[in-house]
Amino acid sequence: MNGTTVIKQPAATSAAAPLLEVSALRKAYGKKQALDNVTFSLREGTCFGFLGPNGAGKSTTMKILTGIVKADSGFVKLLGRDITNDTDAVSRHIGYVPQEITLYEKLSAYDNLEFFGQAYGVRGSELKQRIREVLTRTGLLDRAKDEVQTFSGGMKRRINIAAALLHRPKLLILDEPTVGIDPQSRNHIFEMIRELNQQGVTIIYSTHYMEEVEALCDIVAIMDQGAVKALGPLGDLLEQYGRKEVYVEAAGLTEAPVCAGVSAARKAGAGWVLETERPEAVMQTMLSTAATQKWHVKQLELVRPSLESVFLSVTGTALRD
Amino acid sequence: MKAIISKELKLIRKDKRSFFFLLLMPILFIVMFGSVFGGGGDTADITLHVIDQDRTPASQDFLKQLGGVMDVKAEAADALNDQLEKIKQGQYSVVLVVASGFETAIKQGQAADVKLYQDPASQTAVAPIKAILAGISGQYREQKLAGALEAKGESKEAAAALLASPLRIEDVPTSSDHFDYIDQVVPGMTVMFVFFIIITMTRRFFDEKKTGLLSRIRSTTIKPLTYLLGMWLPFILTVIAQCVILFAFGRLVYGLQLGDVAALGLIVLALSIAGTGIGLGLSFIVPGESASMVVTQLISMGGAMVGGLWVPSYLLPKIVQSIGHFTPQYWAQHSLQNVVAHGAHIGDVLPGVGVLLVFGLIGLIVALVRLPAFLRSAAN
Repeated sequence: MNGTTVIKQPAATSAAAPLLEVSALRKAYGKKQALDNVTFSLREGTCFGFLGPNGAGKSTTMKILTGIVKADSGFVKLLGRDITNDTDAVSRHIGYVPQEITLYEKLSAYDNLEFFGQAYGVRGSELKQRIREVLTRTGLLDRAKDEVQTFSGGMKRRINIAAALLHRPKLLILDEPTVGIDPQSRNHIFEMIRELNQQGVTIIYSTHYMEEVEALCDIVAIMDQGAVKALGPLGDLLEQYGRKEVYVEAAGLTEAPVCAGVSAARKAGAGWVLETERPEAVMQTMLSTAATQKWHVKQLELVRPSLESVFLSVTGTALRD
Repeated sequence: MKAIISKELKLIRKDKRSFFFLLLMPILFIVMFGSVFGGGGDTADITLHVIDQDRTPASQDFLKQLGGVMDVKAEAADALNDQLEKIKQGQYSVVLVVASGFETAIKQGQAADVKLYQDPASQTAVAPIKAILAGISGQYREQKLAGALEAKGESKEAAAALLASPLRIEDVPTSSDHFDYIDQVVPGMTVMFVFFIIITMTRRFFDEKKTGLLSRIRSTTIKPLTYLLGMWLPFILTVIAQCVILFAFGRLVYGLQLGDVAALGLIVLALSIAGTGIGLGLSFIVPGESASMVVTQLISMGGAMVGGLWVPSYLLPKIVQSIGHFTPQYWAQHSLQNVVAHGAHIGDVLPGVGVLLVFGLIGLIVALVRLPAFLRSAAN
């Protein structure tokens, strides 16, 4: 893959056939290349995160996986079947939660779920039971008969997700499901996703919030300008690309401390963040310097590598909102 | 498909705007037109304002004969200028003045002066009055001739036989025994407002596209053709319900005769397919909701004008009548009136039903051709 660094997924699962394989997907809208050679695969039960700014190609990738958009080239295989330009055979196994709240606002929560359940082929008493279950899971059973237009944004997002769960999909694709909602609703959604993943549902989760990927995902693909720039388990990406930094805060430390092995320093709050390839050595040096210079050190710690720094390393830019 | 039909029916029930366009407005129009034009054609409803300047038994007798066939309103003898002013203002279209010396002229066998002051722009209203006056004038001539023959020695019976017309005109009704303007208004307004369903249909499709619902539905097991037909059928049912309610209103309030209900039902079904089929096709052609409002007004109002919904087709200019034949409104109105006013049955209305179904089919074909592009634009 051009321009993509792939870190191998854990060996223990490499024997199992992938649930989803995506290879060399390309899609252009006029002159704009929305997707450029996107390739990845997923094992069953993975929680896969797509991290990237708006316009990176995350939604387009998801729309191709769900059959809403046709790829210009490349292939997609789900459960061993080529679904590149025909998802009909497997649409019953995919649950899709779009970025927009796609509900009938004038209908009740129950009516919306009934419609989407039937749209996925769920019928009769099974449908009634599933509606009850997902409403309970989303904490909205008591609002079942209320029109969706009376719901808060967070509640609407929960029903938006619930509508994709009625048919017990093997693969759940969520496109930025927490945009514009309150923290309580967001946590509720996170709990739901963790629960589903623990029950064996494979999750593809796209977001431009790094903390969401860090909280939920095992495997992360960093996407920018239509291409996957880095792909692998979260810990491995942080290890390989995360910046190694030391934070030091001391009374009277008004200038960045000079220290061998520090490549860059920046002010952060009341202290300084020092970039280095040898954080332990730098910490030792800081302690020695503090003793000799009689600094009153308030804080000295290793800064945990973040996806933000990974994104910056891989793409050369900060993650744009 | 059942899921889509059920969902759409629920949404249509909650749509107050549609209720206004599909039911309230046509009922309002029926009441309005029915009040203005109701009972037209019956001479007992014609009102004639008269000024008797002679005020003699002869003039009174003349006015009594007129009163036998129309509603005669006597005005003051010196009110001529007032009455002429009312004609100018358009309050009525004609005033009859029996001039002084009417009786004297009759007795002397001379022409008696009767002036008919009329609005030249209202010849349609004046024509029946002139015809009645011509008839009464003919009776006076016959009386004069009979008098002259008796004076010459002919008996009364011989004079009557001599004056009898060589023609005998017998009235043979070819339609049902009841016809009035409500037979024009109820079918006409029903047909006109059927096409307002286009507004609701285009709005629904645009909403589904704009909100991302259509894309989401595409990710389910629902196929595009199933989606299209599932969205269409509820509107057919809605229009059928609309027609049933409006005809029921006409029956209950105005005593509209329904004729062969099975034939009526067949026309209503075909009209529903035509109106909603056109709506379906337009939903995939027009660029937006505003454009659909404009197009709907053109189709509804324009079609109503040339299709003979507001006034009977035969009263329209020949060129307009010809154009009307290319509108679904003409075929619907013509078929409905055949049933309601002329006692037609299923076999008689099949050609009209066939034409309406063709309009519906054309709309469906347009929708099928445009559907892939519509789905692509929704996805993007």
